[in-house]
Amino acid sequence: MSALKGSLPNDEWKGYEKWAFRIFAIYFFIQAVPLDWKYYRNLFSINWLHLRFSDIFYISRYTPQILANNSSTRWGLNTYADWLVILAIALIGTVIWSFRYKDTNYNKLYYWIRVIVRYRLAIGIIAYGFIKFFPLQSPYPSLSNLNTHYGEFSRWKLFSLSLGIVPNYEAFLGLVEILAGSLLLFRKTSTIGALMVVIFTGNVFMSNLAYEGGEAPYSLYLIVLGLFLLAFDAIRLFVLIGLERPVEPNGFKIVLSQKWQRNRLILKTLFIFFFVFLYGYKTWSAYHHEIYQFPQTVGLKNASGLYDVAEFKVNSTTLPYSVTDTNRWKNVVFEKWATLSIGTNKPLKIDSAVTEEINDRDADRSYEEAGSVGRRYYSYQIDEAKQQLILQNKNHNYPDDKLVLHYTRPDDSKLVLTGVEGRDTVYAVLNKIDKKYLLQEAAGGRNKAIKL
Amino acid sequence: MSAETHSEVIKLQQASGRDQAAAPVANEQPVKIWKPYQKVLFRIAFVFFVGMSIPMTGEWYKNLFGINWFHLHYRDLYDIARFQPSLVRFQNPAYNLMGYADWLAVLAIGIIGGLIWTAIDRGKTKNYQTLYYWLRVIVRYRAGIGIIGFGFTKLLPVQLPYPSLGLLNTNFGDLTAQKIYWLSIGIVPWYQVFAGVVEVLAGALLFFRKTTLLGAILLFGALGDITYVNFSYDGGVHVYASYFVLFAAFLMIYDVPKLYNLLILERYTVSNNFYPVILQKWLKYTRIVLKVATIWIFLVVLFYIQYINFRYDPYKQPAAKGVKELRGNYNVTTFKINNQEIPYSPLDSVRWSEVTFENWTTLTFKVNRPVPLDLSNGGGSPMRDINRTFELTGVGGGQRVFYYQADTVNHVLYLQDKYAASARRNRGKGKSGEESAKNKKGKGDKKDWIPKEARANIQDEYTAIDPIALSTRREKGIPEELKDKRKRNRMILSYSTTDGNHIVLKGINERKDSIYVVLDKVNRQYALKDSKLQAGKY
Repeated sequence: MSALKGSLPNDEWKGYEKWAFRIFAIYFFIQAVPLDWKYYRNLFSINWLHLRFSDIFYISRYTPQILANNSSTRWGLNTYADWLVILAIALIGTVIWSFRYKDTNYNKLYYWIRVIVRYRLAIGIIAYGFIKFFPLQSPYPSLSNLNTHYGEFSRWKLFSLSLGIVPNYEAFLGLVEILAGSLLLFRKTSTIGALMVVIFTGNVFMSNLAYEGGEAPYSLYLIVLGLFLLAFDAIRLFVLIGLERPVEPNGFKIVLSQKWQRNRLILKTLFIFFFVFLYGYKTWSAYHHEIYQFPQTVGLKNASGLYDVAEFKVNSTTLPYSVTDTNRWKNVVFEKWATLSIGTNKPLKIDSAVTEEINDRDADRSYEEAGSVGRRYYSYQIDEAKQQLILQNKNHNYPDDKLVLHYTRPDDSKLVLTGVEGRDTVYAVLNKIDKKYLLQEAAGGRNKAIKL
Repeated sequence: MSAETHSEVIKLQQASGRDQAAAPVANEQPVKIWKPYQKVLFRIAFVFFVGMSIPMTGEWYKNLFGINWFHLHYRDLYDIARFQPSLVRFQNPAYNLMGYADWLAVLAIGIIGGLIWTAIDRGKTKNYQTLYYWLRVIVRYRAGIGIIGFGFTKLLPVQLPYPSLGLLNTNFGDLTAQKIYWLSIGIVPWYQVFAGVVEVLAGALLFFRKTTLLGAILLFGALGDITYVNFSYDGGVHVYASYFVLFAAFLMIYDVPKLYNLLILERYTVSNNFYPVILQKWLKYTRIVLKVATIWIFLVVLFYIQYINFRYDPYKQPAAKGVKELRGNYNVTTFKINNQEIPYSPLDSVRWSEVTFENWTTLTFKVNRPVPLDLSNGGGSPMRDINRTFELTGVGGGQRVFYYQADTVNHVLYLQDKYAASARRNRGKGKSGEESAKNKKGKGDKKDWIPKEARANIQDEYTAIDPIALSTRREKGIPEELKDKRKRNRMILSYSTTDGNHIVLKGINERKDSIYVVLDKVNRQYALKDSKLQAGKY
């Protein structure tokens, strides 16, 4: 067989290959292994007795942030600028390495850096896989979202809403990610897993660019990890498939002492248990108890629905229906949770949330209003004794927009709200509309005739 | 690298060079003998895939032989590229297994054919290497051509148009799932271009045997996703999408043993691809001519005519320009019906609201009154603008959509409802535009409803687009579609405006009531960012 040796030598490294390898090795090591003090600060602030899926999600999504960043959850994501800094460190490190350490076993080191990258990429892709597999990431649109004009959403929001209406498709996408990640956990299947990641996340990256999502750098980060893994077999595959010539397989096998073989098994099992099984269980549980994109506080009892504003007064002046008046409310939606949204002609500054963040506090859960105009979103507290709703505008651009509305409910489908808005008193009579949504009415298939 | 290995590599490179016969190492294989079950499976697969790859409808051949190659329309080539077996004539999903009944029928033919073949052969044939090669050629080209036909409608983004003003003003909950998906790609034309590039690239890679695996992987990934999308969003073309998944999977199988050997077993792997040796000169030349012709027609010519279509005649949106001074979003300031003014109320069932005039010949408005909806996907390849219904289909919320012909001399619009009863399309079968004679109730008019004097001032439909985009298909298609006599609502409205900011419409609505509408332009603030890359020239 030696006469048929393939064109890819495993045993000897050329000079430039060594140089390139040193750069890549340091670069990927810093990108994948948490050396950042902030990471440990966050890690130790986790309540391990009440571990939530969001904690594991953020641990899995770690990227080293050398330059400053602001994020509502403190974990954050790095940027291309951070990559450049890391690359600079890698270059300096490479120079030092090249002149100080001459007897590196490159095959062995390549093996270990691939292990690190494989596991880093696996948990990264699985973290997103599960929040899609149990459709949490893009929830079914809220009532307010259903009653917003298509053009009043940003691209990113429309992307998420469009995915939200088809939970089974979202689950399918999640399954592909989980499968790709699982293949990365095993050495022999890692090339296939890496190829799946590159194709799938390549599409995610393009979507982030096209829809102006905030995770383009992070998805590119995952793709780069995937390409690094793919490079290991890429030449072999090219020789075999593209050139149709015989090829040698990977010839390097790691030899571990018996003790380390056992340790490896234990570590691997623990790792898989934590990032796959425990995380999978936690996301499943979250799916059944708490859709994290929407607030959890329960709203006014039996109030959820769309309301026509039949009567509207400001300081006892009645304002008729109008398509131009910026003071008059157009319609009102009560969600099942404690959010009330008011259709308005007033131009609004858009609230944006384009990266995946899992917030515990209702006030921070901005998915419902993010990326849309045309409605004012208020979270509210109910004071049952006084029959009052204490409202706070959810949009981060309007922190001072607070309202107290007294409510009466003459019957099940009617609500009368009175209160003070700014310096004016408002009075609104709301009638529930029995609104039928085409999205739901046509869900049974398009072959039936529908009149709506 | 040691000197020894180096010389071996050189030897090997020589061996795998141009002249395979001269290399003793590469050609030492004895005649392969396939196992009996492999032979049976192959025979079935052969009949099945050939059956799946042959156009079986008269329409396909009618299209092929009816093409005027000097006056092409993109749809001429697209229709060559787009076909799938259609033996089973049930349209109801309950009877045709969601559309897969055709596949089962072809599979049955494959099994019967394969077994008969086995009986005749009686184990005489040692293997089917040559035939397997040619079967892969058929499948490669069928899949390649098919996906390229699709890919170009995305690469030059017309398949999923940017939403019209009327659609932008529709509530999210008033759209069907199908519509929401189509729009979600339509709002990002550059992404649509990217998707088109992937599809065309996958198809192009299938034309070359050394890049077939890569093409098949891309095709499998992309169309696997599209299949699932069509199931989830009720898109209607899941069968045709999965057709490509099946073909891609078949092509991938060929390399799976090699990849398994190399990656999983980590063993030395030889590329044992079999290529028949073509000795006859005429066969060699035929092969080259066919290959070059395929690439020329489906990559070069199709690109060009698809570009023309994108620029001047995008098939899902009307191509003729609308009256310039009327375009935009309007609030209805005054609305009178039979001289009685109706104040604005979002609940009113008569009064119009949220009026738009699109860039093309469409007027939309909302009325809070239930109407029958067209839930088709707005596809096909209608030549007449009135039959281009993407802005109407899958839209609720009281949206009314009217096509107008404008007498620009007398300032009169002759409007027809874009919704026509039984407009639902024959889904997934790839039959273009024409509707069956299901609905002949609307007897149609013997006489033209537009007066002769006005007709003289109305632009001719055929020449309404840029001359470079005119085609035989359009020339024949317009009179053909004019025979469609389904009943439509009509309005005749005169318009007067100075600068387009303030428009007065007066005339007779679809219920023969006289209406008087004052429109004031409104500059709506959309959160959705407009894209520069939009089809059509208006």
